[in-house]
Amino acid sequence: MLRAMLTFIQVLLSGLAIGCVYGLVALSFVLVYKAADTVSFMQGELLMVGAFAVVVLQAAGWPLAAALTGGVAGAALLGAVLERTALRYTLGHSHLSAVLLTFGLGLMLRGGVTAVPAASHGMFVLPLPWADEVFRLGPLSLPGGQLLVMAITALVAAALSLFFRYSRSGLALRACAEDARSAALMGVPVARMHTLAWALGAALAALAGVLLAPITFVHLNMGFIALKAFPAAVLGGLTSLPGALAGGVFLGVVEALAGLVLPEGSKDVVPYLLLLAALLLFPAGFGARRTA
Amino acid sequence: MSAARALFLACLLLGSLLSATQAVAQVAAPGVSDREIVVGSILDLSGPAALLGAPVRDGMLLRFEDANAAGGVHGRKLRLVVEDAGYDPKRGVLAARKLLQRDQVFAFLANLGTPVVMATMPAIVDAGRLHLFPFSPHESTYSPLHPLKFQMFPPYQDYMEAATRHMVKSRGYSRACLLYQDDDYGLEVMKGVESGLAKLGQRLVERTAYKRGATDFSSQIARLRSARCDLVVLATVVRETVAAMTEARRNGWAVDMLVSASGYSSQTHELGGAAVEGLFGVSVLPLPYADGAPPRLAAWIGRYHKRFGADPNVWSVMGYVLADLFVRGAEQAGPELTTARFTAAMERLHTDGDFLGSPGYRFSPQDHLGSRQGRLAQIRNGRWVMLTDYLE
Repeated sequence: MLRAMLTFIQVLLSGLAIGCVYGLVALSFVLVYKAADTVSFMQGELLMVGAFAVVVLQAAGWPLAAALTGGVAGAALLGAVLERTALRYTLGHSHLSAVLLTFGLGLMLRGGVTAVPAASHGMFVLPLPWADEVFRLGPLSLPGGQLLVMAITALVAAALSLFFRYSRSGLALRACAEDARSAALMGVPVARMHTLAWALGAALAALAGVLLAPITFVHLNMGFIALKAFPAAVLGGLTSLPGALAGGVFLGVVEALAGLVLPEGSKDVVPYLLLLAALLLFPAGFGARRTA
Repeated sequence: MSAARALFLACLLLGSLLSATQAVAQVAAPGVSDREIVVGSILDLSGPAALLGAPVRDGMLLRFEDANAAGGVHGRKLRLVVEDAGYDPKRGVLAARKLLQRDQVFAFLANLGTPVVMATMPAIVDAGRLHLFPFSPHESTYSPLHPLKFQMFPPYQDYMEAATRHMVKSRGYSRACLLYQDDDYGLEVMKGVESGLAKLGQRLVERTAYKRGATDFSSQIARLRSARCDLVVLATVVRETVAAMTEARRNGWAVDMLVSASGYSSQTHELGGAAVEGLFGVSVLPLPYADGAPPRLAAWIGRYHKRFGADPNVWSVMGYVLADLFVRGAEQAGPELTTARFTAAMERLHTDGDFLGSPGYRFSPQDHLGSRQGRLAQIRNGRWVMLTDYLE
């Protein structure tokens, strides 16, 4: 009995950790969607590029903290540059053109990384502090990597909520998301806010990439996790930041527990079944009431 | 009006003349001229298997460049035309068409990925071109016997059966379990493990699957642990191998694990570190370790690094060895290279191991699969060490 309980908690923890990563990527989806009214299909690639940037900076001799900051800031800069040079010109056109543009930019990012021989030959470890350690709590083993992911996700969520509630840019961004025209009339620099939203979205994706590194390592295909994060964002209603985070954690936990409790093979089906059920029962997502 | 019609007729005539001469040239040998032999390859350089595709391409390039530097094959230079299909059968079909029609390749070498191979092989064989050594475990790549199809990679099923039998017999396991990727690859390994166990009167105690690209293995490991397995066979690739073993060790479960050749990579111990110490694996071609390499191997590693800016891995070795088999076949076929002569030469080809540690490949008119064997290895002190010779 105790054994079963322990196994349950252990699997639950794994689910929570991976759910946090889903949640962070889902946050980046929602952030872009709210501000720019576009579903970005390059978040997975931004995640991969961000993680690779940290690996490269560290290999170049930067200390870990500087490499992390540099990588995430670099991703933010990349997001901003892509907005200023390409995505901005889709404003006023059909939704599809922006969506397809993100898809194409994603392919270009991926192609760019593939062109580097070392990146196309292997996977890389990002030595985050505590990631390889295992803390013992009685008979329970708490992997440092998982604790780290949860802690950083909580910190990021708190920082984002402060940013959107109290900072001038955060408030302006929210105003743009509510109604860009009125915001412009009130003197909010809407174009600049768009740039900020894409930069933030890219930075969040890169951060998720860094946190994913201890779990899956840094490699070309790590961005595929966005395929799971997108349902999480939809589960949260696609417009609610807390909803996206909750959706991600929920998906991670359900997936892990389904693999343990339900018959073989259901692990990969259950999240999507739940997604279907949630869309039928709550068409606007769990977080809808907050923003509606 | 009549002028236009005359022009049209002239074009038609010219077209049929051109295609007739082309047909004659094709009978002689497509892709073979006095100066060169053109060889095509459909790889994955951007998709999910790009980590394999790039080193395979580089390995082949290196062997061809070596051959060209030595004067070519009977005076003809080898030219490799690589198309990227990104593991997508639709793009594979387009790539095959391009290589067949525009590049007029003599042979297809090392096409990568079962979905791509299944989609492109019929068209390639119908066009009368050789289909050599694809990265696909599928039986149809060498059986039923076909003059244009040759394979050198042992099928998962054959070598996993031998490896499982050897492991269970020599180490006395009684509760073997399986963690497998939920696709053709996993199922082939499962068949091999099951038939190996059946020969010893055992059955799989528990089996559990994951989807390609899965990140979290906690529930699978928990399931296997509660079945009290004493050997876990892994039908995983590198990342999943490390993740599964790390998950088990982290929870204090010191079970023995055996991974198929897909997990036999230097990346497994580079990424897994202490967690993957003691992991057993099957190797169909050895890894090129620079540290402690004999002079010839060390020189090869150095040349590869200098040429491509990355260290060779086991996929580079595979690319080099399969390109080497092609070169040997083409050399034996003689100066008048045709498809039929190449097939006849391949059917006589017997190789002995080379400096890269390959097994001997034996082809015959009755058997176009060059090898069925793998050898057992184990990670000790952070590198793979061979435990046995190639297992029968």
